[in-house]
Amino acid sequence: MTNHWIDIKNSDCILIMGSNAAENHPISFRWVTEAQKNGATLISVDPRFTRTSSKADFYTALRSGTDIAFLGGMINYILSNNKYFKEYVARYTNACFIVGKKYGFHDGLFSGFDPKTRKYDKSYWAYELDENGVPKKDYTLKHPRTVFQLLKKHFSRYTLDKVSAVTGTPKEDLVKVYELYSATGKPDKAGTIMYAMGWTQHTVGVQNIRTMAIIQLLLGNMGVAGGGVNALRGESNVQGSTDHCLLFHIWPGYLPTPTASAATLADYNKKYTPVSHDPLSANWWQNRPKYVVSFLKAMFGDAADAGNDFGYGWMPKLDDGKAYSWLDLFDAMYRGEFSGFFAWGQNPACSGANAAKTREALTRLDWMVNVNLFDNETASFWKGPGMDPGKVKTEVFFLPCAAFMEKEGSVTNSGRWAQWRYKAQDPPGEAKPDGDIMVELFNEIRSLYAKEGGVFPDPILNLKWDYTTDGKFDAHKVARTINGEFTRDVTIKDKTYKKGQLVPSFAFLQADGSTTSGNWLYCQSYNESGNNMARRDTTDASGIGLYSNWAWCWPVNRRILYNRASVDLMGRPWNPKKPVIAFAGEVRDGKYVTNKWVGDVPDGGWYPMMNPDGTLRTDTKYPFIMKPHGFGGIFGPGRNDGPFPEHYEPIECPVEKNLFSSQFTNPVAAVYGTEKDVYKTCDPRYPFVGTTYRVTEHWQTGVLTRWQPWLLETEPQLFVEMSEELARLRGIKNGEKVIVESPRGAVEAVAMVTKRFRPFLVQGQEIHQVGLPWHYGWVWPPDGGDSANLLSPSAGDPNTRIPETKAFMVNVRKKGV
Amino acid sequence: MKLTRRDFLKISSAATAGLALGGCTTMGFNMQPVQEQAWRLRTQDAKETPTICCYCAVGCGIICHTDNRSGKVIYTEGDADHPINGGALCAKGAAAYQIARNEKRITKVLYRAPYSSRWEEKSWDWAIKEIAKRVKASRDKSFTVKNAKGQVVNRCDGIASVGSAALDNEECWIYQAMLRAMGLVYIEHQARI
Amino acid sequence: MAGMSFLVDTSRCTACRGCQIACKNWNQNGAGMTKNLGTHQNPPDLDGNTFKLVRFSEHLKDGKPVWYFFADQCRHCIEPPCKDAIQGYVDGGVIHDEETGAVVYTEKTKGVPVDEVRASCPYDIPRAKDDGTVVKCTMCIDRVRNGLKPACVKVCPTGAMNFGTRDEMMALAQERLAALKGKFPKAQLLDPDDVRTLYLVTDDPALYHPYAVAGVRPGISRKLALRKLFFAPARNVAKGLRMG
Repeated sequence: MTNHWIDIKNSDCILIMGSNAAENHPISFRWVTEAQKNGATLISVDPRFTRTSSKADFYTALRSGTDIAFLGGMINYILSNNKYFKEYVARYTNACFIVGKKYGFHDGLFSGFDPKTRKYDKSYWAYELDENGVPKKDYTLKHPRTVFQLLKKHFSRYTLDKVSAVTGTPKEDLVKVYELYSATGKPDKAGTIMYAMGWTQHTVGVQNIRTMAIIQLLLGNMGVAGGGVNALRGESNVQGSTDHCLLFHIWPGYLPTPTASAATLADYNKKYTPVSHDPLSANWWQNRPKYVVSFLKAMFGDAADAGNDFGYGWMPKLDDGKAYSWLDLFDAMYRGEFSGFFAWGQNPACSGANAAKTREALTRLDWMVNVNLFDNETASFWKGPGMDPGKVKTEVFFLPCAAFMEKEGSVTNSGRWAQWRYKAQDPPGEAKPDGDIMVELFNEIRSLYAKEGGVFPDPILNLKWDYTTDGKFDAHKVARTINGEFTRDVTIKDKTYKKGQLVPSFAFLQADGSTTSGNWLYCQSYNESGNNMARRDTTDASGIGLYSNWAWCWPVNRRILYNRASVDLMGRPWNPKKPVIAFAGEVRDGKYVTNKWVGDVPDGGWYPMMNPDGTLRTDTKYPFIMKPHGFGGIFGPGRNDGPFPEHYEPIECPVEKNLFSSQFTNPVAAVYGTEKDVYKTCDPRYPFVGTTYRVTEHWQTGVLTRWQPWLLETEPQLFVEMSEELARLRGIKNGEKVIVESPRGAVEAVAMVTKRFRPFLVQGQEIHQVGLPWHYGWVWPPDGGDSANLLSPSAGDPNTRIPETKAFMVNVRKKGV
Repeated sequence: MKLTRRDFLKISSAATAGLALGGCTTMGFNMQPVQEQAWRLRTQDAKETPTICCYCAVGCGIICHTDNRSGKVIYTEGDADHPINGGALCAKGAAAYQIARNEKRITKVLYRAPYSSRWEEKSWDWAIKEIAKRVKASRDKSFTVKNAKGQVVNRCDGIASVGSAALDNEECWIYQAMLRAMGLVYIEHQARI
Repeated sequence: MAGMSFLVDTSRCTACRGCQIACKNWNQNGAGMTKNLGTHQNPPDLDGNTFKLVRFSEHLKDGKPVWYFFADQCRHCIEPPCKDAIQGYVDGGVIHDEETGAVVYTEKTKGVPVDEVRASCPYDIPRAKDDGTVVKCTMCIDRVRNGLKPACVKVCPTGAMNFGTRDEMMALAQERLAALKGKFPKAQLLDPDDVRTLYLVTDDPALYHPYAVAGVRPGISRKLALRKLFFAPARNVAKGLRMG
């Protein structure tokens, strides 16, 4: 979330699309309700009428996988009806940038596409630069190659007729949503988007979100209270685990994982440090070398120094151009590439797309370690449906771990708040905190390498690994390492910091080895003022619910990102009633002469862009400090599938053509080639759109919640929701068992025939959609059903490679027919 | 940490129960004699520990009530001081007690041998030693110093890891540290799906 | 008639079922092994382990779905007919707490025929545990008398569940009703003068739950139902209601 949970109350219009917040983030509705009490409009757009929809002021449905068409129509509406926030768009977004002549778009393909490799050459989308290497701009937005004009042209194709024919949403409903939401284009109005996996789990997932980000920029909704682009994340610490990068492509703090071509630290810094020639661009990532060295110092301690590239050579490198993501991982496992596997606090046999492929892949291992609280379909895969234990070689170690109230440490919520939690009881029996298991396991691995030697033991022997107190894992010690400390006495800005002192914040990190920081984004979380994540000050001085002294949030406790876009060029809030920050410096002769901001921690504390007398300042920076050029990205030339979003059909879809172009599906989507990777479009055997989702009462694969009697009682079995029309078509009665099958597998589910699903009118035909939760698995409860991911395909977004589990094709039939 | 209890109730009459006289049983109230009507809170003497809910990423505060004698959690409820949830919880958060006290929790290390059809209980010491041996063997066997192009990559291609968004930040950090020190590149978790 | 009251504002309810679970948590009630019967409402009905149940009902209105949630529980009647039904069998089976107005069953209800108690209740609330004790919502009397809100109220994120002095709740109910009337002409409070659990609904109460109000049963008005319950012996009432 660029904003945070409480901030939802500041919104004037809340669009919930691609998420079902009332069911999956129920307490967000404390703040949605608060906003509604204050007069906000709540819009729910979902293929199915949900508990969220039940509270909406306006609800409409769309067919799964058509969000870009729906939102593209909104961009067209905003531009055609002059609903955008002109000053904001011209000054804070890259709408004013002039794009180079090589950019083009024709019949669904952007320029630079290579059909052989199925990849784009992104240099075709570069900006036109001036003599200093700075993108040329036209603040009037009139130049035909400005981003603004190209955007207008691109989305002029998204007419109401076409959008309605693709999405199945009635035209009048589209207009109603567009009207309601674009009313937030006024300077003192804010609209927010609450989205989640309903947008990410598509082969156009990133571009779904880009489309909305463009809308937010056009309406001036970024950086302001009650605005933002808000991803509602689904696990208690999925934000933190992402920040600390338990992901193949990034190191802690979103530092790219090096590829083989970056042989040395110097190569790495050259390759990954963005450059801006614009003196007004903060280009914050120019600091990356400081963060990388501080990270390596945290990893290897004193063993890392300038003489050995700070241990850069000890870190594994990826092959250039190769992906190692979830889908790729299980594809490689299926092909027998791994002998060992850790499933630590996760249940992949149910959680990933194409679960049958995953389950089969597990049989190709020599050994697997599963750490969990309860038995689950991954740990026990060898005795699952269709498995003969006598033929499965995989050794399995099940390590029982502590639950969240049985250990101490921090978790980071969706609003980036890192909150400390405490231990309330010992784990039962011999179960142990995960931290202890890791410490003991790595100690043993290290002692084996110390004793016996082995291949390339250096990183193992040199890893800093002193995270225990009295032999037990000590979260405080790790928290200090994540924050970072000075490795020698250093004087910065006339102040001396002693060796061993905790670094106050990331502005103090250095690239010379004088500082460590396990994750620069968390530098300030645990410093000399204490464990800031444990703060419990319940006062709110901001008046807009920032609660700045409750816990701590990254970066540097800034509660609303890009907040310098919440003020005009002179630093005055666009909405004086809900200021996030405001400039409070003194004025002399029409010029600001002292620098002072009040409110939230400003996104860089530079002077405003303009003096009260209208003169532009040169000692300032543009507000979007994380972007190389400092402007909000309406044009996104870094994406793998194009600088503008474009509607493509899902890899499996119910229509024979894409009404927007002859490019049927995303040309660069990730697809796989084993015999388990079957994709069927417009196959009469699989006539209905299928989607997966969750319910309030269960969590993810149900690995925790299926074992809890109170929760299981409320949602005991896999169900499939379908319209009354579809039920009639298939002769299905409410509450009876049916079979749902896709080209990849089948599950038995209880039919829930409901008025809350309606058929769609798509390209003139009636299209049915059904939906199933993916909370169930064969281990428990008896007759609870199995994972809905047995149905979903291993196809992924070309940027994130997140699987397309929200739109695929299925059949539904009565059991035994 | 300081707990302040913002959720105290105003009651229409000034009187609330003073002394605790006799407990209420689990089900149905044991009131002898009925007229006395003194009600005891079953959490009255418990120790309160704040934590954060383990499910979605709203980050609601939960208070665990721990029995002083047994050291076990006897009740969980929303943290009324928490600015996000103000004491409220959804069905899952409200059921947190059933994670703390659940007889289906696995409490011993389990091992399944190749081609076996059953779990065996094992000691931690045995398991850690055996896993470490397998990690070393897999790593040493699959370690790639140079890739096909001859570039130095120093990576372990034969072991993969998934997990976990359910770990604390500090655990996430040391987990990625140990995996990367071992040379793993197939490191993934819930955020990707 | 001071004491305490609930206000259940159904317009705010998202059916997160925090209340249903929090009730079980505080009361240390178990759960049954249910089946999915083609609805999210589960368990299907109140039972000996379920004093609070979120009822789900869906309808089409002007071609668009509506989904109503009714967090059902004991109304803690101002003059509780179930008290007479139980007292007909056993003394001390019901405490009608003066301080709060809570109607609380005791262990002495064990063996009292639950069907008769149930039939005496215009809202069909009382149920029996496996051991025969008649049970229902206690207003969390132990919490309330110690200055805490009932578990189902504390847990509620949206302000659907409210609790306070009767005056406060009546005032809040009127305020919310007035705010809803514009958008929902059928918005109404259900039996506000007779009960301590005030339900605010935005549509015809029958669309939420057959027992949402006392008077929805054909042939018998709510007032009449209550009067009959007070003056007729429990057994006859049971019959009367069944026949009516």
